[in-house]
Amino acid sequence: MISQTVPMVGEEFVMGYRKQSVWSKWIALAFFFGKVGSGMFILAVLLNTPLIALAGLVIENVGKGGALLIHLGRPARFWRAMTRPQSSWISRTVWVMGIFTVIGLIYLVLPAGSPAWQIFKVLALVSAVVVAITDGFVMNDSPAIPLWNTPMLPFLFLFYSLLGGTSVFFFLVHGGWASITPLVDLETLETALIIINLIGVAIYLGSMVNATATARESLRLLIKGPYSGMFFGFVVAIGFILTLVLTLFLGASGGTLVVGLITLADLIGHFFIFYLLLMVGVYSPVLGKLTI
Amino acid sequence: MAKAATSPATGDRWVRSACKMCLHGCGIRVRVQDGVIVKIEGDPDNLNNRGKICPKGHTGIMRHYDPNRIKSPVRRTNPNRGPGVDPGWEPISWDEALDIVGKRLKKIRQEDPRKLLVAINDFQRIHLWGWGAAFGTGHYFTTTGQFCGAAYHPINGIIDGSFASVNDYEYCNYWIQMGGGDGFSSHLHVAGSIKRMADARVDRGMKLVAVDPRMASYCAKADEWIPILPGTDRAFILGMVYVILYELNRYDAEFLKKHTNGPYLIAPDGRLFRHPESKKPMVWDGVDNRAKEYDDPTIKDFTLEGYYKVNGTEVRPGFQVIKDTLKDHTPEKMSKVCDVPAETMRRIAREFVEAARIGSTVMIEGKQYPYRPAAINFYRGAIGHCEGTHDHAAIKLMNMLVGNIDVPGGHLGVGLDHRLLLIEPGPDGMLKPQPHILHPMVPFTCPPNTLQMMEFFPIGLDPAHLVAHNILNPDEWGFDFKPEAALIYHANPLKNINGYDKVLEVFKMLDFIVAIDILPNESTEWADVILPDHSYLESYMMTLCEPPVITGHTLRQPVVEPMYDTRDAHDILTEISERCGCLDEFNGLLNFTMFLKPEHHLKPGRKYTVLECLDRMAKSIYGPGQDLKWFMKNNNAVRHIKPGEMYLPWEGMRISLYHEYFLQVADDLEEKFRAAGKEWDTSSYLPVPTWNDNHPLHRLPREYDLYAINFKAEAVLNHHENTTIPWVNELVSNIPIHKGVLINTRTAREKGIKTGDRISIESPFGRVEGIARVIEEIHPRVIGISNAITRWTMHPVERKMNTHFNRLLPASLEFTDRVSGHQETAVKVRISKI
Amino acid sequence: MARYGMVIDLKRCVGCNACTVACKAENGTPPGIFFTKVLEQVAGQYPIVKKKYVPVLCNHCLNAPCVRVCPSGATHKREDGIVLVDYNKCIGCKACVVACPYKNRELMPEGKLKEGHFKGYLTPFEQVKYKKFQEGVVVKCTFCSERVDQGLEPSCVNTCPAEARVFGDLHDPESKVSRLIRQRGGIQPMSEANTDPSVYYIE
Ligand code: SF4
Ligand code: SF4
Ligand code: SF4
Ligand code: SF4
Repeated sequence: MISQTVPMVGEEFVMGYRKQSVWSKWIALAFFFGKVGSGMFILAVLLNTPLIALAGLVIENVGKGGALLIHLGRPARFWRAMTRPQSSWISRTVWVMGIFTVIGLIYLVLPAGSPAWQIFKVLALVSAVVVAITDGFVMNDSPAIPLWNTPMLPFLFLFYSLLGGTSVFFFLVHGGWASITPLVDLETLETALIIINLIGVAIYLGSMVNATATARESLRLLIKGPYSGMFFGFVVAIGFILTLVLTLFLGASGGTLVVGLITLADLIGHFFIFYLLLMVGVYSPVLGKLTI
Repeated sequence: MAKAATSPATGDRWVRSACKMCLHGCGIRVRVQDGVIVKIEGDPDNLNNRGKICPKGHTGIMRHYDPNRIKSPVRRTNPNRGPGVDPGWEPISWDEALDIVGKRLKKIRQEDPRKLLVAINDFQRIHLWGWGAAFGTGHYFTTTGQFCGAAYHPINGIIDGSFASVNDYEYCNYWIQMGGGDGFSSHLHVAGSIKRMADARVDRGMKLVAVDPRMASYCAKADEWIPILPGTDRAFILGMVYVILYELNRYDAEFLKKHTNGPYLIAPDGRLFRHPESKKPMVWDGVDNRAKEYDDPTIKDFTLEGYYKVNGTEVRPGFQVIKDTLKDHTPEKMSKVCDVPAETMRRIAREFVEAARIGSTVMIEGKQYPYRPAAINFYRGAIGHCEGTHDHAAIKLMNMLVGNIDVPGGHLGVGLDHRLLLIEPGPDGMLKPQPHILHPMVPFTCPPNTLQMMEFFPIGLDPAHLVAHNILNPDEWGFDFKPEAALIYHANPLKNINGYDKVLEVFKMLDFIVAIDILPNESTEWADVILPDHSYLESYMMTLCEPPVITGHTLRQPVVEPMYDTRDAHDILTEISERCGCLDEFNGLLNFTMFLKPEHHLKPGRKYTVLECLDRMAKSIYGPGQDLKWFMKNNNAVRHIKPGEMYLPWEGMRISLYHEYFLQVADDLEEKFRAAGKEWDTSSYLPVPTWNDNHPLHRLPREYDLYAINFKAEAVLNHHENTTIPWVNELVSNIPIHKGVLINTRTAREKGIKTGDRISIESPFGRVEGIARVIEEIHPRVIGISNAITRWTMHPVERKMNTHFNRLLPASLEFTDRVSGHQETAVKVRISKI
Repeated sequence: MARYGMVIDLKRCVGCNACTVACKAENGTPPGIFFTKVLEQVAGQYPIVKKKYVPVLCNHCLNAPCVRVCPSGATHKREDGIVLVDYNKCIGCKACVVACPYKNRELMPEGKLKEGHFKGYLTPFEQVKYKKFQEGVVVKCTFCSERVDQGLEPSCVNTCPAEARVFGDLHDPESKVSRLIRQRGGIQPMSEANTDPSVYYIE
C-alpha cells in the first residue's frame, strides 16, 4: 500500500484539495444582511416595533439584494434568477425574499390588531424565518464541499439571524431609538443567543473533525491555516468572547457605548464566520474514491 | 464517428501541411476561416501520425500570431548591446538590409571567411545547415546537436548505418528505456510514437522498465522505475552484461557468429588478427580446430570463446576479449557506481534475456526473421556524457548479446531521411561504418580551421562548446584568425552553448551579427540586422526527419499569405550568398544536401527560388511524376517502411560487436598528430566499453554533493524554444515539474529547503539561482532543471526564470568525449537557500 | 436517444497535455481558462513512487448539480446528455461553479476577453474565437457540442496521441465507450456524489 498525502493545490495541474473562490465577500455580505434583516424583522414583529420591522425589510432588500446584484456577473439579467425555483435554491431565495417583502409590507400597512393583521403577522414571521433559513440551503447545496454540505447550516443561519436581530434591537432600544411594549429582557436574550450560537458553531465545527478528510482540510484552513488569524480574532475573540464578557459583566448597565460595542462586536463576528466558512470551502479531490 | 469536418465552402477551408513545432514534422491540416487560422489538427491521412498531434503542434497558431514577430528587416539603433538591453529595432527595406549584410560578409569572405561564425539550427531545413561551408567557414556555433546527438548519431551510423534508433513498437515485449522520451514525450515523431507505445503497453501487455534519475513521464507510465545516478547508465548496463556473460551464460551465439565480428580473432594489440598473405581477418573453426580466413567456405563453426595460438601469436575471438575485459564488472561493483541495487541488475538482466526468446523466429511477409522481443532503448539522458561513446556502445552491446539489432521485436536503426539506413559493404566482410550522416568528414589539419576542432574528431559531431574557449585562447591550438561576425539562423548560441561567460565574451567581441528568424531570442537580441523568415504556416518545405516505422516526405506549404514583410530563409540565404560572392558554392551545396540528381542540378551563376529547389528535390527523390505540384496536390508520399528495409537490411555483412574500427581511427589520428608535432589523447578510442573509475563527472570535488540534470523536452517543450508561446507558457506555469528546481523531499529536508524558496545552485563551473520545487519522484542525490525555467529573453511572454542550466556545465576538452565530441550534460552542484 | 460520454484510459494516457491545448485551440478560451486539464497525482515515498496523469473535464453528469442549482436556466442539459451554459441567460451567480463537485466550471471575469494571451493585444485567432464568449458568465467544457453536432469527435479526443480518450454513445451497448466500460470496468469520478457522470475512467 502506497501512502498518499493529498496536497492543497491552487490552479496547478495537480490532484488535491482545491478551495472554492467564486463566492466570497459579496455573498458573505448578502448572507449577513439577509440574516440581520430577517432577524430584526422577526424581533420587531414579536416586539411590535413596526418601524424596525420596516428597517429589517429595507436591509433585507437593499442590503442583501444589493450585495447579490454586485456579486452577479450579469446584474442586468438578475430577473432570470427567478426562473428555476423548482430546483435551484438561489431561485427559491429570490422568491422567498419577494414573498417575504410583500407579506411584510402588507402586515405593516394593515391596521394593527385586525384579524387580517393577525394572520399576516404569522405569515410574516414564518416567511422571515424561511428567509433566514434558505440561505443555509443555498450553501448546503454543494455536494462536494463537505463543510457546507450539512443540514446543520440552515439552523446555524436561523440562530445567527435571531442573534443579529437581537443585537441590533438591543442597541436601538438602549439608545432610545426604539421602545418596546412587552418588557423583554433583551440582555438575557442576547446572552442566551450568543451562548446558543457558540454551542452551535462548536458542534458544527466539531462535527467536521470526524467527517471526511476534505472537511478536516477546511477545518485546518480555518483554525490552523491562513484564516486562523481572522477566525480567532474576529469570530472567537470579538464575536463570542468580547460580546459574552461585555454582556455578562457590563451589559445594559454599561451604557449605550458598551451596548453599541456589543452590537458591533457581534456583527463583526457574525459577518466573519460566514465569510470564513465561504473562504474555507474545500472541494473533495475530483476523483473521489478513485485514487492510486 | 466521422474523421473530417466538411466545410469546403470558400472562406472556410482545411489546408494540409507539415508541422514544425519540433523537428520531426507530423502531417497536419489547418483550418482557415476568412483568412484566419483557427485550428491545427493532425492529418488523418498521413500514415506518420494518423490524425494525432502533440501539444506543441497545436501551439503553432499562437507562434504564428505572436505580435512580437519580426515584421520586416530591422536594424539596431542602440549601439549598446547586452542581455536585456533594448536594441531599438528600426525597420528597413529588404534591399537595404541585404546590402548591409552582403557588403559586410563579402568583405569578411575576401579577407578570411573563417572570421564568420555560423549558427544554423533550423532543424527541418537541414539542407541549409552547411551554408557556412559554401561561404568558406566551418565553424559550428550552436549546440542543439550537442545536447542530444553527438554520441548518438555517429555511433548508430557506425554500428548499423542508422542515424537514430528505437525499439520495435510492433513486436517488442520487454522494453527497457533509459534517459529518453520515445513513445511518451519526445524524440522520434512523438505524436505517432505515443500511439504505438500505448498500443504495445496496453493492448499487447508489453513490459516497460524505465531508468532515469527523475521520474519522467515514461517512468511514471512504466511497470518499474529504476532511479539511477546521472552519467552512470553504462555501469548499470555493464553490470547486467556481466550477469548475462558470467552468471546466466545465455546470449544469442548464433546471431553473434553470423551477423557480428564477434568471432574475428584479435591479436594481443587489440587489432584484428589477419591472414599473413591475404590480410583477411581470421576466425577459429571450432570443429576443424584451426584458424581460417573469415570468408572461408569450409568453416563449420565460428568460435566465440577460447584462447588460441596461431603462428605463434596468442589470439582470442573478439567476443572473448569483451568477456575478459568485463570480468570485473560485477553487479556489486557497478551498483556502487550507479546506485541501482545489484539484485535489481540481476533480475532485470534475467528478465531481459528470458523475454528475448533467443532462438525463436517469426514470419513476416513470407520471410523468416529472428524474433527478439526485448530491447533497450535510450537517448540523450543515458549517453549525453563526456564518455558518451562508451555509454552508447555498452547499451548496444547488451542489445547485441541477445541478437536484437534490426530484427523484429528488437532495437531498430532509424534513418535521417528517405535514405533510411545507409547500407554499404565495408572492408573485412563488415558493414561500412557511417559516422558522417549529417555532414562529410572534416579532414585533419593542425592547426584546425574550425573553432570546434572538427578536424580532431574524425568520427564525432561538432563539439560547439569548444568554440568560445578557442576564440578567447587562440594560441592553444594555433588559431591565426579572430571571428568578427556571426550569422545566426534559427539558433540561440548564447542560450544553448555551455560556458555562458565565455560565449558572452565572444558576443561582446563580435562587431556584426546578422540573424534570420521569426522571433528574437537571447542571442538574436544582440543582432545588428534581423532578416525575418516566414513562419512555417507561410512557407514551403519537404519535410522528413528521423522517421521511425514510416518514410516519405510531407509537404509543408503556406496555409495563409505571409502576414508581414518576410521571406523564406532559403531565399534569404540565396540573396546573401549572391551578395557576398558564394552563390555558386551555395548552389553546389544544395545539389548535395537536397539530393538533386545530375539532371536537376542547380547551375552556377543563377539564383533559384526555394520552390524551384524543392521541385527539383521532389523529382530527384521520387521521379519526374512526383514533382512539387504532385506534393501540392497529394501532400505526402509517406508509407510504411517495409520489413525488408527495417529488418536485417545489412544481412550478409557483419556489424561491429568488437569495435576494432575505433582503434583504426585512433591509430590514424595519432599518426596525423605525430606528423603535426602535437599531442592528442586517443585513449578513449576503445574497442570494448568499460566503466572508467576516473570518469571526470564523478570525480568533481566532494563538496559538490548533488548531481544536476536538465530535461529539455517533456511533450510540451521543444528544447527551450517554445516557452514564449502563451499556451506553452500557461502549461509550464501550471505543471509542477516546470515550476522550479526539482529536489527530493529528503534532500530538501536535510538542507532546510522548502517549495518556493529561492536557492543558489553552484557547480565548479558556474552558479545560477532558482526557485525550489520539492518533489518525491527524483533521486535524492540529484536535482532536476526543466528547460522551461532556463530562459531570460526579453520576449514579454517568457517567465524569465533564468535558471540557466548550461551555466553550470563545463565547456572544455577535459569534459568532452574524445571520440564523439559529446559534451558532459550533467554536473555536480551544491545548493543552498538564499 | 444517445447519451454522449467519454472514457479516459488512464493506462494509455501519458500526461502530454495535447488534449489541454487542443481544447484551448478549438474553443479559443482566454488566458488561464481551461475546459480540460491533466492533473498529476503522486503517491508514495522515494524510491517507491507512483505518479498518475488524470485528465479532467466536465463530466456532463446525468444528475448534474450545476443544472439543479442554476437559478436562471442558463445551465441546461441537452437530450443527448451534453450539459451546456447558455451565455445569453447566465446571470453570473456562480452557484454552479460552487456546486460542481469537480470544479470544472469557471467564471469568465470582467475584462477577460480584452486581456489577450499577448497582454493587451488580441491575435486574429482570438478575435474570431472570443466572439462566442461573454464576460460575467460561467463557462466550461461543451463536449465540443458544435463538433459533435457535425458528427465529429471532440477536439481533445481527436488529438489524443495515445488514444486515451474515447468518445461515444453510452446508451449504445456496442459503442466503443460502452464496451470499454464493460470490459475494463469503467469508474465514474467521485461516484459518491451521485452525479452519474458521463465520463468514465479505466485503469
Ligand atoms: S492528449 Fe491523451 S495522452 Fe495526452 S494528456 Fe491528454 S488524454 Fe493523456
Ligand atoms: S462535471 Fe460539473 S459542470 Fe459538468 S455536468 Fe457535472 S456538475 Fe455540471
Ligand atoms: S452562473 Fe450562470 S450558469 Fe451558473 S448557475 Fe448562475 S446563472 Fe446558471
Ligand atoms: S470535449 Fe471539447 S470542450 Fe470538452 S474538454 Fe474536450 S476539447 Fe474541450
